[in-house]
Amino acid sequence: MKKGMTGFISALSAVVLFTGALTGCGSSADKAADSSAAPTTSVTAATSTAAASQNGIDTSKEVELQFYMLGNAPRDLEIIQTKVNELARKDLNCTVKFNYTTWSDTNTKYNLLLSSGQPIDLMFTADWMNYNQYAKKGAFKPLDEVVPKAAPDLWKWIPENYWNGCKVEGKIYTIPATWKEYVPGVIVYREDLRKKYGTPEIKDITSLEAYLEAIKKNEPNMIPTEELVADWGIGGPGFTAWGPIFEQTHTSNFGATVPYGLYNDYKNPSQLIDYWGSEEFVNDMKTLRRWQEKGFWSKSALSTKEYPADEFENGKIACVMASNPGKYATTLSKVRTNHPDWEVGYLSAPEVAGYVEPVHPIHNGFAVPKSSENPERAVAFYSKMVLDKTYNYLTEYGIEGKNYKITEDGHYEMIGDTTTNGFAREAMNGWAWRNPEIQLFDKSFDAVLDIFKKYEAGNGIVIGENLFGGFVEDYAPYQAERTALYQVQSQYLVPLMGGFVADVDKGAATFREKAKGAGLEKIQAEFTKQWQAYCKSIGK
Amino acid sequence: MTVKISNKLNRKESDLIYDFKKNKILLLMLAPVVVFFFINSYLPMVGIYYAFTKFDFNGGLFGSPFVGFDNFKFLFQSGTILKITVNTVLYNLAFIVIGNALQVFVAILLSEMSSRIFAKVSQSIMFLPYFVSYVIVGVLVYNLFNYESGFVNTMLQNFNMDPIDAYSTPGLWKFVLVALYIWKMLGYGTVIYLAAILGIGSEYYEAAKIDGANIFQQIRSITIPLLVPTFIMLFLFSLGSIMRGQFDLFYQVIGSNGLLFDATDIIDTFVFRSLKMNFDIGMGTAAGLYQSVFGFIIIITVNWLIKRNHEEYALF
Repeated sequence: MKKGMTGFISALSAVVLFTGALTGCGSSADKAADSSAAPTTSVTAATSTAAASQNGIDTSKEVELQFYMLGNAPRDLEIIQTKVNELARKDLNCTVKFNYTTWSDTNTKYNLLLSSGQPIDLMFTADWMNYNQYAKKGAFKPLDEVVPKAAPDLWKWIPENYWNGCKVEGKIYTIPATWKEYVPGVIVYREDLRKKYGTPEIKDITSLEAYLEAIKKNEPNMIPTEELVADWGIGGPGFTAWGPIFEQTHTSNFGATVPYGLYNDYKNPSQLIDYWGSEEFVNDMKTLRRWQEKGFWSKSALSTKEYPADEFENGKIACVMASNPGKYATTLSKVRTNHPDWEVGYLSAPEVAGYVEPVHPIHNGFAVPKSSENPERAVAFYSKMVLDKTYNYLTEYGIEGKNYKITEDGHYEMIGDTTTNGFAREAMNGWAWRNPEIQLFDKSFDAVLDIFKKYEAGNGIVIGENLFGGFVEDYAPYQAERTALYQVQSQYLVPLMGGFVADVDKGAATFREKAKGAGLEKIQAEFTKQWQAYCKSIGK
Repeated sequence: MTVKISNKLNRKESDLIYDFKKNKILLLMLAPVVVFFFINSYLPMVGIYYAFTKFDFNGGLFGSPFVGFDNFKFLFQSGTILKITVNTVLYNLAFIVIGNALQVFVAILLSEMSSRIFAKVSQSIMFLPYFVSYVIVGVLVYNLFNYESGFVNTMLQNFNMDPIDAYSTPGLWKFVLVALYIWKMLGYGTVIYLAAILGIGSEYYEAAKIDGANIFQQIRSITIPLLVPTFIMLFLFSLGSIMRGQFDLFYQVIGSNGLLFDATDIIDTFVFRSLKMNFDIGMGTAAGLYQSVFGFIIIITVNWLIKRNHEEYALF
């Protein structure tokens, strides 16, 4: 009987859910029409009803905002959400549901969330999540009018050049993060081992090679480094060991990628240079072949299942070539707790190349998707998360006294550890709503801030302007060629970069020939045309 | 004359109604299945239209611009589509033929075992790999074949032999992949054949024993011929997905190792690599449609061939 009953209930709930889905589909169009009509009515509503907030938006109806962020939800999310909702109900007559995608198949899930049409009010955006492409395809609502109206404080607080940086075809589609951050390539190595074997101080590729050689010779239980196949977004697939070689010797606006084999120099940004066709490319591949022959990385590197930072922290490898300031700080703090006798050194690419760029405004941001029914309330709420210290600290650091405390010198300090504390620093992945004016840092993060200070202090390092982030590539004219080229890269270029092709000259020739067959010339011509038009439009 | 015809028509119509009335309950019981397949298998077919449009968020399915066969271009642009199609089909054939043959063999062995406990234990052990995720299989394989610290090379070095550089030897993986698939699916497939064997009436064997047939003769003349229909049915079912590669297996074990692609790339991994950076609904659907159309052609042809010779074995 009981079994029959539960069966019946589950069948019933399935029917209810199904009809819910059907009606949901049917009515969303009407609701969208409602919300587009809202701005005209709300002006009068603001003056007449007491329920309207000071921002001049209509908050008379209570709504639940759907907030979507990438990654895993922190354990204590429910508690934080309840706290935030208490505040939000009072301030804006709304509640918010924080949703997380988890890190598996993020790209696919992100795409489905936006294309399925389910109502979402706030959605994380990033250049590394193809913000430009989605905005161009019409996945988000334009914010040029909504933000000044619903969140005038935020509109004024974010500098104008940040807003301009977010423009896609003349319209703003995301609210940018304002913290000035740098993510150049960093090589992390064991300074104690370097001293032990007396190799010269690591300040370029040559001294790095000497160090790795010493490790290979003297540490039989270690592999000097663990390199692997990486995906460089527009640059396509590649091999991580190539990164520092290129980045330390070039001052390109594209950083450590060569989209379709092209790069530039920040001094003359519109001029694109062909890397794959150059003699330099063959020489770099020869360097990588030499390194592979010397056994700097595993012969099985192309299929490796290891994570270099973990390997480094466990003492299995002596160098991570493709790190960045944030990852370096994490490694450093783990090593300090687990292996206090080690000494960790780093070399960041800008120190060698003499050039660095901050991240582009669209590196982290929040947009209002097309499917949102409450764009104004969403923006007003987001403004609170950035500017209101109570909201901001709750969603970035948790509850003071329970999850964290502020030390006397103004640092963030976690209470307990990650096993006992259900809300670590920035556990909600709150990269986008960081507020540099009130932001708290963990003591271990000083390592990153020190790197940033080094850049900002001059020392012959030029701080450039991030041009590439604002560039909207329209790959529709060469989409088939582009996909084919990425296939060629993973089959012919990656093994070459990993040093697994015995005859480098022949391997390079094969790669060039296959790339040409895939339509490289057409892509390069079209990409150059688009890039130069973009440079012209921003006056470079 | 005319009266006769209309009468016939009438009778036909009433037959249908009569049929319907007579089998009311049975048809009602069938209804959920029909609804299920309609909603889950037939309704989504409308989405095939995505393959011919350039998707944008404002237009949705029918509002996006029509682009004809543009979305299929990426499959042919790099010139590898023929090779990966052949790879997909050959790998699947190897999986089906070798897999089924071994499953039949093991099922017969198990059914002839006199110790029930031993048979049950070995059957369970063979079934275990089926539950192992391919992610774990990928890690296991890496730890077996890793050049520096893998199990295989450590063993070889202990016997003073040269280590093998598996991850740069494409030919080796043809065997490894087939072996892995069979290892994983053996227990599962065996159960089906074992059930078929148990369904064979014991009177056949008794009659054979009286005639003096030994155990091998019994297997050859009774068990195997009576398993053929099951084998053909399973074979036809698997043919339906012959254009769909075992994505998990290939992706987890081979990953993005370009050195091995010539021997190990299949349509599914190719499409995944093509679209994972910039997932495009149109191109994804185009690839799926390509696989479905070819799979459809293959199954229709094979079914037709079987029907011509052994009508009783054909699927439809």
